[in-house]
Amino acid sequence: MIAAYILIEMRPGSTDKAIEKMRKIENIVKISVVAGEYDIVVRVHVKNLNSLLKVTNKIQMIEGVRKTTTQVIEKEIAL
Amino acid sequence: MKIRKKYLFYALAFSSALIGALISSLDTVIVNKYIFDPWAYGFSCFIVGLAVTFLLALIFSIPIHGKSLGSRFVDPSFERLRFVRRVEVKYHVFAGIGNSILTVGYLHLLSMLGDPSTVLPFSQIVILYLVVIESFVEKNIPTLPEVQSSIIVTFGAMLGSISLTGTITLDSMFLVFVVISPAWVLFSIYQRKLKMLRVDNKSNDSINIRFWNVVFSFFFSALFIFLYDVLTGSSHFIAGFTASYRYFNWVALVMIIAFFSYVFYIRALGIGKASVTQAVRASTIFFIIPFSVLLAYLNVIPMFVTTPVMIVIKIMGVILVFLGIASFALTLVKAYIFIRMKPGYPIEETMQKLWDIPGVTHVTAVAGTYDFIVKIRIRTLVKGYENIIRRIEEIKGIQEYRWNSVLKEWEEI
Repeated sequence: MIAAYILIEMRPGSTDKAIEKMRKIENIVKISVVAGEYDIVVRVHVKNLNSLLKVTNKIQMIEGVRKTTTQVIEKEIAL
Repeated sequence: MKIRKKYLFYALAFSSALIGALISSLDTVIVNKYIFDPWAYGFSCFIVGLAVTFLLALIFSIPIHGKSLGSRFVDPSFERLRFVRRVEVKYHVFAGIGNSILTVGYLHLLSMLGDPSTVLPFSQIVILYLVVIESFVEKNIPTLPEVQSSIIVTFGAMLGSISLTGTITLDSMFLVFVVISPAWVLFSIYQRKLKMLRVDNKSNDSINIRFWNVVFSFFFSALFIFLYDVLTGSSHFIAGFTASYRYFNWVALVMIIAFFSYVFYIRALGIGKASVTQAVRASTIFFIIPFSVLLAYLNVIPMFVTTPVMIVIKIMGVILVFLGIASFALTLVKAYIFIRMKPGYPIEETMQKLWDIPGVTHVTAVAGTYDFIVKIRIRTLVKGYENIIRRIEEIKGIQEYRWNSVLKEWEEI
């Protein structure tokens, strides 16, 4: 399994609708609305890189998404 | 389905509290009408519970369209009933010892005091025990707002216990402080550890944790009661089996309901700290009031006489508990910190240094624009600067970091 964070920059005024669409995408396990350099951070769990590409594509197709930056997780320590 | 994690946590803890109140009422009926010996009743809970929990776990293992029933309706992490893993055994031993002592102690208290609305609030002192224990065993030391909220909830819950028929004796105080609360701490801390454990590279599920907890609790309660019988010449061990056979339906009903209460509780433990989960679960003291009135109306417990002063005290307790729970809910600050490193610094070593910072819940080494994504959870933004930013700035090799506060969050459940 591949886990990745996708950091999303949005156009102003489109965050709410975009989140509603992201909540329907199957491989997204967490959506965080953030204040800072980015607007939304999503966590994705996929079987392979091809599936990751599909999820990224789906996110980029959502209206209001200006830029996505994908960060593939190599190692993780969590509570 | 993705819902807000906070809502899921409160939904689980409140459901567990509501079901817990129902169980306490049924316990009262059984202790007052059928099984008068609390040792025998406690033991019969585990004897019958073993069969009932096994059956429920089997039913929830039935697959429907590729997913088990349990995964669809109870816990998404559940696949099927499985054997306990070696890594889980030591945690189950402690949780089992805790549960067996807790159950017998609690039923003793119930048979002493009679009214469940008196028993439940007083046992909420366990929240304070948990806050203290967590400061030693968990990486995330309780912050001042957590300690304040815990004290507010605990005192509120205790105030709630003064009213109605309650008579608090020295014996019952001893049971609460020395037997029930420490046992409950053992039970909840180790169940939380089990829930946080990854089994076969997946999140551990609450149904298997509950089933194996009942198995271990059965074993330890059998051992303790047998030893007690040998030492004192009593016959609670046999009485437990007799009670299980004679009142199977009543005990089975309690254990079916307890299954759901504890499964929700274990799931909530996987999201929040044991002390915070227990504080939300303290809301059981409100849910128990209508059940107590009903029991008094049905003559299971004596009809209580109360005065306006007692009612005012009760209302004060209720307000304090709600204030405490609300302050737990509203004082959580979460953030992502994106970190870029200078070349030439070992990844693993930096990861460990980041992990050692209090409040850090995830450290991920990533490939892309950044080198690390760190997730933090704190109670106040001031602590974010004092405890986190200062510590990050001390780590050698960090070129730049970006703080992104989490405003709202949804998570797959």
